[in-house]
Amino acid sequence: MNVIKTPKSQTNSSKRELLFTFQTIIVTGLLAFTAIAFFFYNNDLSVVKGIKVIFAPFLSVVPLLFILSVLRDLRKGFIEGNYTKQQILKFALITLGITAAFTGITFLLSKINALEILLAGIIAILSIVFFLRSKIKDILGMSIVTGIAEGIIVYMIFLF
Amino acid sequence: MVQKNLNMAFFITVGVSIVVFIYLVFLGYDEIKTFKDVVKIIGSIVFPLPILFFTRFIVIEHFLPENTDAYKAENQRPATMLLVVSVVIVLLLIQFLEFVSQKKLEDTLVLAHLINSTTISSYVFNFLLYNNLKANGILSGILMALAIHIFFLST
Repeated sequence: MNVIKTPKSQTNSSKRELLFTFQTIIVTGLLAFTAIAFFFYNNDLSVVKGIKVIFAPFLSVVPLLFILSVLRDLRKGFIEGNYTKQQILKFALITLGITAAFTGITFLLSKINALEILLAGIIAILSIVFFLRSKIKDILGMSIVTGIAEGIIVYMIFLF
Repeated sequence: MVQKNLNMAFFITVGVSIVVFIYLVFLGYDEIKTFKDVVKIIGSIVFPLPILFFTRFIVIEHFLPENTDAYKAENQRPATMLLVVSVVIVLLLIQFLEFVSQKKLEDTLVLAHLINSTTISSYVFNFLLYNNLKANGILSGILMALAIHIFFLST
């Protein structure tokens, strides 16, 4: 009956971690897709300064690496049991807020006419996602990542 | 035997959703001119996934009924009722919205894609993880209403 039968040995927290990983993969894919879409759509993007484009990602990756090496894990990881109603409500609202914020941010990204700045922006968001993935393993991280994904999708569907 | 029926139902529902999707793409074929439209369709298909993952993340162990015959027998009637009721309600709702906005659903294909993909992914999700028959009924109802509307009611 169950097509995907989860083994009994798997705990809830490891399931949550797996879901979190899936979510980050989705966001990464979406960001890559956004970058490609903007490159195609804004035909007037000029690759005049090739060196700038190559170096733009480092602008945001270097701080990420620094932060990752300095900080220890911020949260204790995923909890085993259920969340309370109040927590669910709170984090759903956070997700909604971040969705709205990222709809706006994607809109701003689409306004950028320079390829290197666009690339730096997208890589910066990607770095934030990876930071959340590796350090904030918690429902907070999950809701932020969900918010980012939904924001990008909402922009794609309704505003692009 | 019962097991087999349910699996058939699953495949048929997914099949209906795929047919609806192909039909929608076919219907809007003339409108897909630019890269933008493709992006919109892809966006509307991907839309439900993060929400579903998030829901699964929060609701990790509620509603996990054993798939026994007793559970099925108990829920048969309410689930069927919900199926019928949701078909009728969603059909009426679509008609009402079309009447209010003076627009055909076919003109806003992104919305139709959105309904289709959201319903089918929640259906698959529910089927795989929670196996809640009532939710199953409602979701099948919404999908059927959409299919009926697109195939038979829109001229």
